[in-house]
Amino acid sequence: MSETALDRTARALDLVPYLLEHQGISTRELADVFGVSEKQINEDLVLIHMCGLPGYTPLELIDMYYEDGYVTVSDPQSLNKPRKMNRSEMTSLLVSLDLMATLRSDEIASEIAILQEKLRTSLQVENPIVVIQDASASPFLKNLEDAISKSAPVRIIYLSGSKDERTERIILPLELYIDNKATYLSAWCQKSNADRTFRLDRIISCETVDLQNFTSTIKSSQNSFETGQIIIEIDSAARNFIEDNRAIISKIRERVGDQPLIVELSAIDSRWLIHTVLGYGGLIKVLEPAQIGEEIADKAAAICASYQPK
Amino acid sequence: MSDAKTERLINLTLALLATKRYLKKSEILSNVFGYEGSQEAKERMFERDKDDLRSLGIEIEVGDLDIFFEDEPGYRIPQKSYELSVPQLTGRELALLSIASKHWNDSILAPSAQSGIRKLQSLGIPAEVDFDFRMKYRFENPTALLDDITRAINQKSKITFSYDSKKMQVRHVEAYRVLFWNGFWYLIGMDLDRQDIRIFKISRIVSTITLAKKKNDYQVPENFDSKSFLPKSNPNILTRARIDIRKDTALILRNRGTLIQQGVEYDTFEISYENQLAFLRELIWYETNVKVIEPLDLRDALVELLSGSIR
Repeated sequence: MSETALDRTARALDLVPYLLEHQGISTRELADVFGVSEKQINEDLVLIHMCGLPGYTPLELIDMYYEDGYVTVSDPQSLNKPRKMNRSEMTSLLVSLDLMATLRSDEIASEIAILQEKLRTSLQVENPIVVIQDASASPFLKNLEDAISKSAPVRIIYLSGSKDERTERIILPLELYIDNKATYLSAWCQKSNADRTFRLDRIISCETVDLQNFTSTIKSSQNSFETGQIIIEIDSAARNFIEDNRAIISKIRERVGDQPLIVELSAIDSRWLIHTVLGYGGLIKVLEPAQIGEEIADKAAAICASYQPK
Repeated sequence: MSDAKTERLINLTLALLATKRYLKKSEILSNVFGYEGSQEAKERMFERDKDDLRSLGIEIEVGDLDIFFEDEPGYRIPQKSYELSVPQLTGRELALLSIASKHWNDSILAPSAQSGIRKLQSLGIPAEVDFDFRMKYRFENPTALLDDITRAINQKSKITFSYDSKKMQVRHVEAYRVLFWNGFWYLIGMDLDRQDIRIFKISRIVSTITLAKKKNDYQVPENFDSKSFLPKSNPNILTRARIDIRKDTALILRNRGTLIQQGVEYDTFEISYENQLAFLRELIWYETNVKVIEPLDLRDALVELLSGSIR
């Protein structure tokens, strides 16, 4: 048994006031809200049903009614208010708000600031976690959020980094996310007829379009890249490469003594790999495919040569 | 077994919350349901139950002795200390909080955010949701060490851990803050061996964290500003570079810079940057389509960096 009597007590003390404010809630939903099984919730309810104030006559017990999987509380006895939050609950919520505040620049940001002040005053807790986010807020954020909510297409002008071109496309925004220092939009792109990912700071224009016949065949597209198995060698001074690119690391091989790390990557765009590795100045070496390793050396030599006096 | 104990703890909480006056221990032991066995066994049970409830953060007040009760202590749980109170929380704010609390996906912060929000939702404030957030956040999953560190900061106990740096080293640190910086977790504090403020990436802590027994052993400097210790991020230290860019190439760079002179094959742009390495990595993308003119140290650094990749 992993759960202690204390864990269960804590949940029961929280259940009663929650029920009081959510009369007629189903045990299934309760299980979801409290993160336990429905069976566990039912056992908790049976137990709570037997608790009450000294005397323990029906008048002094917690008065609860459950039938067909729905629960109602008519007398919570002295458990009519939720318990104080503990330190980790307060910290988690305050950090959640800080995080949300860094993601927004609109009027909601100021509402969050007011709310944070209220919580700081009433909770009286020192929050030890500081949130810092360098991703700059995009002026098109609200536009894109609306487009996602309404499943409406937008027309964007996009500067593509890897292909170095400026394109105009009609896209159907699907999801916005922040990863590391940048905000991304994944969208179905009419031009490519597939899902594509866009960096928000490279979208230089964004407007809603009213297209009658915009049909999309949304499929989860697996980008097919030309690279097969990639094996790279990483000096420990460059290990932030591993931390920053978790998504493409398929295996980190067992390290022998002070040897550099050998890491296997999933198939990725070879242009990306070449230019990224160049930026590590020799701390990362591509072992396989060998021809990518050669291409990296050639490019480095070519760029250096362009600085040689002619 | 678990049932009986849980039931007794709930009954004890209910009784201590409901009472206006202090309840004598003898009253509790004979009236609250669940205390059984010899007098001694009951008392031991009660002592443990008090400790258990306190470990849940419930404050049990031990009362001044009423002269009529001789030397028996009395107990109660003051409602004010038990109940959550967030004055003037609006329905819209509650909805904002609910949405914010969902950012943690399945990480170790999720359960406490969830139980926190559950308590707020038990306050009887109707949530009003008329907005739709779509922003998701991808981040490094915090490890269980996070909890040890926040606890250490909270009680100001020094910590010791092994850190994966050039050599595996044991560090002694006064933890000041946890930084959640661009999706990664860091600890900032006074490195006692170096006598300097240092930043540690929490995922590079390779041992458990040992908290010193002593509490309130140090102070976080007043108005401590973590941000000022981060490398870079000072917009005042921007460097200006002059870069030649081949016609119709490096569009992102062009978009960000200022055109100074148009040429036949190349145009010259002025572009500002904060971090040299990050800027060099950006320039490398455009290979020979861009050429650094000034500053010279940027140019040298570029050649130096690339030389590492030449065989």
